[in-house]
Amino acid sequence: MSEKRFMKGNEAIAEAAVRGGCRFFAGYPITPQNEIPEYLSWRLPEVGGSYVQGESEIASVNMVYGAAAMGTRAMTSSSGPGISLKAEGISYLAAAGLPALIVNISRGGPGLGSIQPAQSDYLQATKALGHGGFHAMVFAPNSAQEAVDIVYDAWEYAERDRNPVLVLMDGCLGNIMEEVELPPMKELSDADLPDWSLTRRNGRDWQGNITPIYTEAILEGLNAMAGEMYKVWEEDDVKVEEFMVDDAEYVIVAYGIASRVSKEAVLTLRAEGYKVGLIRPITVFPFPKKSIRNLDYDRVKAIIDVEMTIPAQMREDIELQVLDRCPVYEYGRSGGVLLDDEGVLEAVRDIVTGGTF
Amino acid sequence: MKTSFVFSGSGGQGIMSAGITLAQAAIEMGKHATYLPEYGPEQRGGSAKCTVVISDEPIVSPLPKNCDNLIVMNEQAYAKFYEDVKAGGLLLANSCRVKNADERDDVKKILAPVDDIALELGNPKTANIVLIGILIGATGIVDKETFRQSLEEKFKDKKPGVLEMNLQALEKGIALGAE
Amino acid sequence: MPEYKRSNMLADKPSGYCPGCLHSLATRLISDVITELGQEDNSLNVISVGCSALNILYWSGDFLSVAHGRAPAAATGIKRTNPERLVFAYQGDGDCAAIGLAEIMSAANRGENFTVIFANNQTYGMTGGQMAPTTLIGQKTTTTVYGRDPATTGYPMKMCELISQLEAPRFVARYALNSPKGVREARAGIKKAFEMQLAGEGFTFIELLTNCPTNWKMSPLDTLEYMNTNTIPYFKPGVYKDVTAKEAE
Repeated sequence: MSEKRFMKGNEAIAEAAVRGGCRFFAGYPITPQNEIPEYLSWRLPEVGGSYVQGESEIASVNMVYGAAAMGTRAMTSSSGPGISLKAEGISYLAAAGLPALIVNISRGGPGLGSIQPAQSDYLQATKALGHGGFHAMVFAPNSAQEAVDIVYDAWEYAERDRNPVLVLMDGCLGNIMEEVELPPMKELSDADLPDWSLTRRNGRDWQGNITPIYTEAILEGLNAMAGEMYKVWEEDDVKVEEFMVDDAEYVIVAYGIASRVSKEAVLTLRAEGYKVGLIRPITVFPFPKKSIRNLDYDRVKAIIDVEMTIPAQMREDIELQVLDRCPVYEYGRSGGVLLDDEGVLEAVRDIVTGGTF
Repeated sequence: MKTSFVFSGSGGQGIMSAGITLAQAAIEMGKHATYLPEYGPEQRGGSAKCTVVISDEPIVSPLPKNCDNLIVMNEQAYAKFYEDVKAGGLLLANSCRVKNADERDDVKKILAPVDDIALELGNPKTANIVLIGILIGATGIVDKETFRQSLEEKFKDKKPGVLEMNLQALEKGIALGAE
Repeated sequence: MPEYKRSNMLADKPSGYCPGCLHSLATRLISDVITELGQEDNSLNVISVGCSALNILYWSGDFLSVAHGRAPAAATGIKRTNPERLVFAYQGDGDCAAIGLAEIMSAANRGENFTVIFANNQTYGMTGGQMAPTTLIGQKTTTTVYGRDPATTGYPMKMCELISQLEAPRFVARYALNSPKGVREARAGIKKAFEMQLAGEGFTFIELLTNCPTNWKMSPLDTLEYMNTNTIPYFKPGVYKDVTAKEAE
């Protein structure tokens, strides 16, 4: 049975994870994601799962690594500085072919930065979540509801690919309270355990082993397979929202919280008669290249990258698709200073009215 | 119809719970609402701010800068946000702490001594409920009965008398706001 | 007369350990105890980084290979979700006493119900003989070429002494593998730790004093004597904590 609740984004993620089959969480407190571990600390035991407050982010992600090896749907969450610490473990998850969910409720950076919301971790999330040149699918929901839907199905992707999945949000979406409709509990049994999991042997005659270290020829093969997998993602798994793009002369590209503020600007400017549209990557990796590449550049006069970080981090991904066919502008706020409707509206209006932005 | 509210004061003045309760009541009425808290490093006594958006339609952006209604509990909050009320909007201030609210003459102003009223009712902690009562009385943004039910839900596990005191504060506020 | 044959949990191929290295003996002891306890199909070896990682090629039972120092964290995730499995981590000096110090102390302090077997050979073998946190004062390594100087590198880390100060651990003991007596005691200690784990007792820690002929630059026999005169006087073998002994009183 689904049900509606008025919930904080972080708590909605936690409940969606449980309903999606998560039975293990380890994490270390960091603002602005604390409601996720707090919620799961009492919720997981209710459903026969376990929660561990790790001694560090490093330990926590490695606890997830252990639980994931047993076929358990496992997750950890953190914010920028903590994700940096988890980078080691995320790389090992990818190397060992272990599915897991990592949630980043990002804040101002770099360094300790600020505890206030910022979209400061796009590059980390999409280019190098850890050493060794691997990728994870990165989902960037823009509402508590979309976060619920994505987290609920995160392990379906992670187990399909035997690869970690990252959900990238920011402190606004983690702390906002909105109405969410919660999906029913996925009832999983031992029969659903992946066949590679290191659960009790039960008479199986093969050795169960999972490792992040390989001989060079095998590793090269695995690297090549990963490369092929990323191409398949680009064909099959891109999620994108295109809003009023068909006749748009100016196209905003924005994800997460920035996309909501941008959409407000699109609606206002459309009412004023300006042809503005929005492309919203829901997966930021794989990036919705085609949506931007295939725009009609005889019509589109400019692309505007709106992000809650300075400098814009998605810009290079956009530019690689625009290929100089129109100018790419950026607008952002940073350091924990929030985007707001008026600021984005004025910046975009300035561009569409041929201002000197 | 989309209406925005900024609540601000210092930590402990019930600003956040006022915002949440208002948003919850709106949802109970079948409207859409977002509640966005601003958070700081202090656990107590820092500045508190939250933004609530209520609408008949699903809410696109929860991040308006300018609001239709500004509710301020102290002087610092007033100084920080008075410019953000839209012309024709409502400025509601706790006049026990906001002594001078002369900067804007293009907004509707309600200055009410909510600290004193709460004290008269027997509990200074109910000042936020008096304030929100005034807001409801003045704007009709949520139905009085629905808000009352939200309060009953919120205080159902508290000590006896707490709910009654808050309900009195609400009634008093609504009566003042309607004036 | 009993037949001396390859232990059941070890693959039928060379171990990869240098001739005379006591890692081979240590893994054999663990393997034999697992067989004796009927846990061959139920055991799970959490393999750490360092020479201990050679187990990846050599250990024929189930294993999970993990990041440097994080074996107690990974074992926590394993044991919390699969409490019935016999889980042990086999860690070396750097893994346990340097990079993974937070993980070992915290897992011990939480009383996680698994066993950590710590092979202490006072050097970093796989990377070529650098100083370990357990390197003895005056001992020469590739990063302490004049011998370890406590003025700049501190003192050898006594893991049994540290862990036995915590409330939660149930059995903490150190054995030296340079004598038949030590080997017999170590085997009994490992067995006791595994039995306690299977009984749900909680955290157990076994430290095994081992050698490194290659990086100590000694013959295997000389390393055994060096252990007698240098290692054992500093890292005193013995049972540091045994709650079952207290309960028996």
